[in-house]
Formats: sequence, C-alpha cells, structure tokens
Amino acid sequence: MATVPAVAEPAARPAPVSITGRGPGGGGWRRGLAVGAFMGPALLFLGAIVGYPTVATIIASFFNKTTTTFVGLDNYRTVFGTSDILVAVRNNAIWVIVFPFLVTFTGLVFAVLTERIRWATAFKAVVFMPMAISLFATGVIWRIVYETDPHRGVINSMVGTVADAINPPGSYALPNIKPISGLSQRSDGSMVSTATVHPDGTVKLGLTGISPTDIPPGATSASEPATVQGGVAGVVWRDFSPGGHVGVVDSGEKGLPAMRIDLLRGDGSTAATTASGADGRFVFRDVGSGSYRVAVAASNFRAPFGGVAWLGAQSLTPADRLGGTARTLLTVPLVDIAAIVAMLWMWGGFAMVVIGAGLAALNREVLEAAKIDGASEWQTFRHVTFPLLLPVLIVVFVTMIINVLKIFDIILSLVPESSQREANVIAVQMWNSAFTASDYGVGSALATFLFVLVVPVIVVNVRRIRG
Amino acid sequence: MSAVATPAPSPALPQRRAPGRARLRRVLRSTPVNVVLVVVAVLWLTPTVGLLVTSFRPGQDYLSSGWWQALVHPATLNLDNYRHILSGGNIVDALVTTVLITVPATLLVVLVASLAGYGLVFLRWPGRDWVFLVLVALMVVPLQMGLIPVSLLYKHLGLFGTIPGVVLYHTAFGLPFAIFLMRNFYTGIPRDLLEAARIDGASEWTMFRRIVLPLGMPALASLAIFQFLWVWNDLLVSLVFLASAPHQPLTVTIFSQLRQFGLNIDVISTASFISMIIPLIVFFAFQRYFVRGVLAGAVK
Amino acid sequence: MASITFDHLVKRYSPGAAPAVDDMSLEIADGEFLVLVGPSGCGKTTALRCLAGLEDISDGRILIGDRPVNDLPPKDRDIAMVFQSYALYPHMSVYENMAFSIRLRRMSRADIDAKVREAARILGLEQFLERKPGALSGGQRQRVALGRAIVRDPAAFLMDEPLSNLDAKLRVQTRAEIARLHQRLGTTIVYVTHDQVEAMTMGDRIAVMNLGVLQQVGTPRDLYERPVNRFVAGFIGSPAMNFITGTVQASGESVSVKAESVELSLSGRAAAIARRVGNGAEVTVGIRPEHFDRSANAASTGVVKVPVNVDVVEFLGHDELVHASVGGTDLVALVPAQRNLQVGDALELAVADSLVQLFDPQTELTLTPDGAAAVA
Repeated sequence: MATVPAVAEPAARPAPVSITGRGPGGGGWRRGLAVGAFMGPALLFLGAIVGYPTVATIIASFFNKTTTTFVGLDNYRTVFGTSDILVAVRNNAIWVIVFPFLVTFTGLVFAVLTERIRWATAFKAVVFMPMAISLFATGVIWRIVYETDPHRGVINSMVGTVADAINPPGSYALPNIKPISGLSQRSDGSMVSTATVHPDGTVKLGLTGISPTDIPPGATSASEPATVQGGVAGVVWRDFSPGGHVGVVDSGEKGLPAMRIDLLRGDGSTAATTASGADGRFVFRDVGSGSYRVAVAASNFRAPFGGVAWLGAQSLTPADRLGGTARTLLTVPLVDIAAIVAMLWMWGGFAMVVIGAGLAALNREVLEAAKIDGASEWQTFRHVTFPLLLPVLIVVFVTMIINVLKIFDIILSLVPESSQREANVIAVQMWNSAFTASDYGVGSALATFLFVLVVPVIVVNVRRIRG
Repeated sequence: MSAVATPAPSPALPQRRAPGRARLRRVLRSTPVNVVLVVVAVLWLTPTVGLLVTSFRPGQDYLSSGWWQALVHPATLNLDNYRHILSGGNIVDALVTTVLITVPATLLVVLVASLAGYGLVFLRWPGRDWVFLVLVALMVVPLQMGLIPVSLLYKHLGLFGTIPGVVLYHTAFGLPFAIFLMRNFYTGIPRDLLEAARIDGASEWTMFRRIVLPLGMPALASLAIFQFLWVWNDLLVSLVFLASAPHQPLTVTIFSQLRQFGLNIDVISTASFISMIIPLIVFFAFQRYFVRGVLAGAVK
Repeated sequence: MASITFDHLVKRYSPGAAPAVDDMSLEIADGEFLVLVGPSGCGKTTALRCLAGLEDISDGRILIGDRPVNDLPPKDRDIAMVFQSYALYPHMSVYENMAFSIRLRRMSRADIDAKVREAARILGLEQFLERKPGALSGGQRQRVALGRAIVRDPAAFLMDEPLSNLDAKLRVQTRAEIARLHQRLGTTIVYVTHDQVEAMTMGDRIAVMNLGVLQQVGTPRDLYERPVNRFVAGFIGSPAMNFITGTVQASGESVSVKAESVELSLSGRAAAIARRVGNGAEVTVGIRPEHFDRSANAASTGVVKVPVNVDVVEFLGHDELVHASVGGTDLVALVPAQRNLQVGDALELAVADSLVQLFDPQTELTLTPDGAAAVA
C-alpha cells in the first residue's frame, strides 16, 4: 500500500483581489459604488414613478379636484354615491365573479385535452396568439363578430340560421301588411275572420299593405270562393285596386297563395289546416256541424331572426323591476358578457399554457400508480391530478382577478357609445374623472380603491415568497 | 434449468393475435378529442380572420353583408383600404411613433432589470431582501396608481405630451416584473463560476458583462419580447400622456378613429390589422421565449 | 396469486425501430420470486411495464394465470406495482395512500381500515399513518409504497428497482425485509433491478436480459456456475469475471491457450473443450477473480497456472484485490491477504481447471466438452 504523505494544514488562500474589495463579504465604499451602480437606475425609476406616485395618489384621494384642499372622505362618498361609478363597481364585480372561473376552467379543459393530440403545439399557437394582439384591437375584432344584423355578424348569422330553422319565417313577413276586410288582427299575430261560418259557408279574407313586388310570383287573379258541400271554402287575397271596392274581389286583384289557413272551432281550437292556392282560394272539406272561424295563421307573418344585440345594455337579470341602487347593482348587462367572452378569447391561451406546464410537471409515475390502483380516467383526475394542480390553478385564477380589476382598453374599443354607460368599469371611470373631467381628487380615490382591491393579492404573493 | 425457457402453450389457449384491440380503443377514444379541438381551433381563428377579410373589403360591403360572403366572392377583395390608409400618412406616423416608444422602453427595461437582478443576487448589502419583497409587492400595483402624480410631475418637468415621458413611465412600471424575472433566472447561475472569476481578479462589472449577461440571454429574450408586446399594445398610458400630442402611437390613433367614425369599420379594421402585424410576427418568431416569459412570471 | 407467462413478447416504441423487448418468452411460477436483471436499457423495465399494462404490446402475449391480459387495462389485471420513485400521492396521508385503491373498490369503511392497519402493522408504519409523504424519510416512503401494494392483495407484485434510491445500509436492510415479506405472503413477485447482488440474494430464479433479449433464466447458482454466454458470465458475480482471448495450441498431450506473451496450460475439462474446438481456433478463457489462489497455496495438479504482473493491490481486510496484467490483458484476482505484494511483482496464480470457462469469441456462447452450445 502506498504511503500517503502526512496531511498538512492547507495553506491560507490569499484574499482574492478585485477592484471592489474582497468580494461580497468585503466592503468599503467600492462595494457601495457597485451596489449603487447596479441597483441605482432601477431604484430611481421605481421610486420616482411607481413608489412615490402610489403614495401620492393615496394622499391625493383625500384632497379636492385640484389637490389643493383637504376634503377627507368626500371623494369616496362621491365614488360610492354616484350612480355612474356604482355601475363601474358593479361591472368590475361581475367581471371578477365570472371571468376568472371561466378562464381557469377553459384553460384546464384545453390543457388536459391537448395532452392527447399530436398537433398540440399548433393548437396552442392558435389559441395563444390573441395574447399578442392589443386589447384594443381585440375590441375591434369582436365588434365585427358581434354585429347585430344577422347578415353581417358571424354569431347572429349562425344563431339566425338555427332560429330560422326552428321558427321558419313566414313568406308574408311584411312591415305594413294588415287586414282590411273580413279579418281582424289578433294580439298573437294571427288574423281571424270577423264573421263565423258554418258548413257549406264561405269566407272572404282581404289583406292590404302589400306592395306589388311582395306578391309571390305565381299568384293569379283571385275569384269568389265556390261553396263546397259539407265544407268551408274561402279566398284570401290582396283587397286593393284603384277604383275597386273593399270586401269585393275586384278583377285584377291577386290572390295570396301558400298562406297557412286554420279552421278554428268555437272554443278556439284548431279543427283543420290548409294552404291557399295560387288564386288565393282554399277549401276545408267535410267539416262537422258547428260554427267556425277562419284564421290566417301568425306563422305567415313571422319575421326572420333580427339578431341579438350582444353589445347592448339589456340586462340578463330581471332587475328592471327594482328601483334605485338595487337596480343598479343587480343589473347584468349583456354587453358585459359579450366583453367577457372576448377577453376569454384573449386569455384562454395563457391559462392553457400555464396549466399545461403545471400538468407536464406532474410526476408521471404518480399517475401511473393511480392507474394501477384501479382509478378510471375521471377518478385519477379528481383524486390525484386536480389536487396536485391546485396551486397552478390558483396562480392563474389570481392573475386573472388582477387583470380583470384593471380592465380598461377593451371596454373602450368593444363597447359602442350607446352602451358605454352601462359597461363602465373602475379604470375607465378613473380615466374619465381624472383626465376628462380633471377631477384629480375623485380620480385618485378611484385609483386608490383599485389599489385596495389588489392589496390582498400583494399580501399573499409576498407571503409566498417569504415562506 | 438455465436454458431460455420456451413456453408450451396449452392447446386450450387461442392462437396469439396481434394486439390491435388496445390500439383501436385508443384511437377511438382520441378521435372525439381531436374533433372537438379542431372545432375550437377554427372558432378561435375566426375572429381574426374576420378582421383580416373585412380590412380587404370596401366599406359599403361591410354595411350590407357579412365578411364570409367575401370568401365566396373573392373578387370583391382589394387593397384599397390599405393603400388609402398608408398613403394618408396618419397611420405611418403612428407606426413610427409606436416604434419610437416601444423599442427604447424595451431596451431600457432589459438593461436596468439585468443590472438590478445582478445586484439582488450577486451583491450582498443591507436591506437587500426587503427590497426584493417590495418588488414583489410592486408587481401587482396597477398602472393607474401613478398616472395622476406623474402627470403633474411631467407637467412640471416639461415631459408631459412627450415620447420620452411615456418611455420612462413604461420602463418604470415594467421593472418590477422584469427584475423579478431576471433575479429568478440569475439565482440558477452556479455561484462557482463567479467565485472562480473573482479569484481571477474580475471586477463586478466584468463579471456582469462577461458571465452573467451572456448566460442570462434566454431570460432577457423572454423579457424583451414580453415588454415589447406589452408596450406596443398599451393604450392607457399613451392616452393619458399623449392625448393632445402631435404624434400618437397606433393604439391612440385607432381609438380616436373609433370614437369619430365608429361605423367606418373598413378604416378601423385596416388600421387595427396593421397595428397587429408586427406583434404577430414577433409572437410567432419568438413564441418559445414568450411562453417561457409567461410561465416564469406565473409559476415560480 | 397466479403464474405469469411472457409469450414471445415484442415491444417496439416506433415502427421500424429496434425493439426494446425482442421476442421474450418466460414462465414464472405461482408464488415465485423472479428477478429481471440487466444493464440500463436492456428492456427489463419495459417488459415489466408491459406486464403492468402501462405500455402497449407490439406483438406476442402476456398471461396472468391462464388469462391473456394484452387488452386489459392495468386495473383489471389484479397486479400491484412498486415504483422506483415510490410514486406516492404527495397530497394524501400515508393512510389515504394505502387506502386509495381499495376505496375505489367501494369496500366498507371498516374493511378498508382493517386492511390498511394490518399492512401498516406488517411494515411498521403505524405511527406514520397521518403523515404526508413529504414528512417521511426515503426508507419510510419505500415501506408506504410496499404497503400500498400489499393492501391490494394482488395476484402478483411488480417492483421496479425499489431499492435504487436508498443508501447502501438501508438497501441491505430493506432487501431482507422484502425477502421476509415474500416468505410471509407467498405472492408471486416480479422484481426488476440492475444490481446483480440484489438479483443473486433475493431471487428464486433470475432472468438476465441484454439489449432487449433474454439471455438466460435460472437459479442464482445455475447462472453463477453455468452461464450460457459471455454476457451472463461477466454480468453475474462481483468483481466481474476475467476474460483472456487467445489461440488454442493443441499438440499431442498438451493443450494450451496462447494469448500475446503468455501461454496458459489447460487440463481436465478445460483441456477437453479446447481440444474439441481444435488447434488454431480462437477462444476466450474466463476465470472468476475469487477462484484464483496463489500458486504456492493451490493444489499441484488439476490447476491452470496464470503468471501475472502486479499493478495495484487493494487491501480488504481478510482478502486482497490484486489488479494485475497478463499478456496485454488486465486481470483481477481476489486472494487471501498476505500483504507482501508490491507494484511490479511477478506473481503466479492458479485456478482449478474445472472452474475455467471457455467461450467462443464470435458467438460469445459458452463452450462445452460435447459441443452443445446451450448448457442443459
């Protein structure tokens, strides 16, 4: 065995020479210079533009509009008293309640589903892409999507296709059409014969307010109805001609074909249905004895889908019945939901990517152990995957809350002038108050209010870093 | 027995067959997922496509029919809107202004944040940990908090309504997240590298320039892209500081157009798309870095 | 409790790629402790995962008992697995970890409790039941992983290198515990490891794999004394067997193998094999380090003498590990310690000729006197 030389005390290492002195432990003014050089610019920026102004804003919130006189809590009273501002608070509340859940849920679903496909990268790029666009451009994009006119707006066009399929519009959905002889208008949109009719009887149903171009092609001249034994016959026609008589089938007056005609019993129930022919005539055969009325069905006049005003201020809750503050606070304008969807389009990718990273970081073997233990896909998700993902989900959730409290750009770009009042949010209100109305006091109060709302998150974050 | 055992399958067992059933089951299970995700992807692309197509259509077309009609009649598409808007000078000026705001704001943030990150990780000084905590707190403070006092300050200093004023504001509010990002990245750099350099006699500045900065490039790239997109797309700050300025960035310009001609979707959509092109290019070219930046900020 | 059969199992990760498991056929008896051993990448873990149902099979079948389980998901195969990283549910307590699988089966709460506590008792985990895995040591976590498997009362235990993450002392301890467990429960165990010591000490039978191919299956003794090829011979036993390649010199009475500057004179069984392959043929001679002794202390006949030059001597207490060279080849010998060797010394070692193995350098198979390549 080779002998090992006796171990000597390690020679003392000479102190490393560096310009700043003996390294980080060392000292002197050189180190101070280094710290100053590295930290100085950042601290200057932060102090001057972030730190000091934050404090200044809080202080200014207790002063008047030109920040000269101390006014105590007046500004805050204004904030919570003015209806417009309350609307802003309410809307932010709606955003906070609805959006984070929606986005986190969507992100989770996407993250889980993309694990199973091969083109996950492409999918993620598509969904994530809206993050690169300004919130403002997003608003413009979605204005186009939300166009009310079903001929111009994508959503309304699709909804319209479905709606019109379920409730087909009638061929006589004309704005001016109305009964003129033998008929009276009903509130449900149908028109009913003024006189009752019995078997072997006839009716004449005259309408007007139809321009010649609106008469369907193939309509021929109308003629008096011929009685039918045991049945009811009639004619429905355009009772209008220059020099003609109302209630009489003048020559040249056209019949109204393909009209749905109902035979109503005395109690109002429908006994039979038929359609008018090219000359406007129709027949109900073999009707039982009794007295009937004849109706021109409402479906003939049903208007096609007119389009939902997604960006309108219509409330989803029946808060209109309430008054005052309760009404303000409980209204949920449709435009808020529309804006939330647009925001979801923008941030869904973020949630998906972050949660996806969290998913990928899970220990595969733990999931395999669950598989072997007998858990189905759903059970594995519920008992293992989800609890382990919870920290990531919370991060996404909280980030979204903050984003939503500060929301500004999209409200200005997406919401049309007509709905701006109902869609107001704190950040917009603050900008309006401070820079349009030049009321720095109220503006500061609003900013401070916003700040107070995010303080809990600050506390949580700081705690997390410390511990 | 030490030979490789050969099985003697009992005659009762069925002939072995290729294990296709498990694979088939997997394919069947993944098909609905694929279908759903394809539908989602199409839905996600539709709004942007809508904007793009609209920007190529004459204004009156927009008022009468949906943009998808143009896909069926491609002849109606033209570049008129773009020609009109680019020759008008307004948008080009706005584009230039946006660049003049965004690039300096990005460079400044990158520079200051990497310096400060270094200071937080590799220098030891009293109060260092407290400063870091304050930084974490500041990350959440909304832009709104500074607008009023800084407006007053700028008016004092003559910076109000100037581009440098906006650049400085963006830099300042971009710093908390930026420093956080760089600091976290720097903690991953092995101390030994710097110890070795220190023994060799390197100064702090040399160590920063030669070791930390190059090693920190990936994080810097993520930061740069993040900040670039954020500043390019900002509306609020520019609106406050440049509302009456002679040169305004794209966001403000389009905003005033929207205010004035809400119905002129042809102009607005074209301008919007122009404002989107650069961010989109940056996004697709550097997607990986952008995602990394997002993840670094969100997950520790 | 059931037997397990691998029937020509093939696993390819992508079509056209080399198979990770190549035509593996193996029968494991009910209640047997079978160890799958081999170097990294040999396919042992892949084979285990195919058995567990965590990987799809490319070709062939796997049977548990008499049922082919190819198409069954893991939960229907009635097996329990212990992972290398233990894979405990980090957010659940030890009790919940162990109860998880049987809770899914909707057993009554009393039954679940009884089973979990019983397993905890067997493994000495009673006082840890409320703790989370993060608060446990490596050895304790390992026992929880075992407990999770025991509670299932499965047809077979599958263990994937469960001791790799433990320190040396704990490993020895836990090895014995697992062996005890097997005796107590009698369940079939399929155990994967890269450590041949674990294989030798724990298995009823050992299956050696290399590059996806099953090399040999047999009792530890079979593999030690009658390895079927050079790979198995070199893999089993530590320090590894010495290999010297040379040419047979057979003339009349004497047979020897000439390797560079040294000539090893053979006798007995070794000589018979060399004579069979013929003069001029290339052979590889294999001798285990522990079979060497100093010539002076060895018998005079029936031995093969090997003259070596000493490089390094490592004193182990009772023995010495002599690193030497013969011809151009390095060699290791484990001999009783005499502490009288220096670097550069010439030393003559001897080994009983019945303990000398010969291998075909081309096919790497072990050679036998009667020419059969695979040893019966």
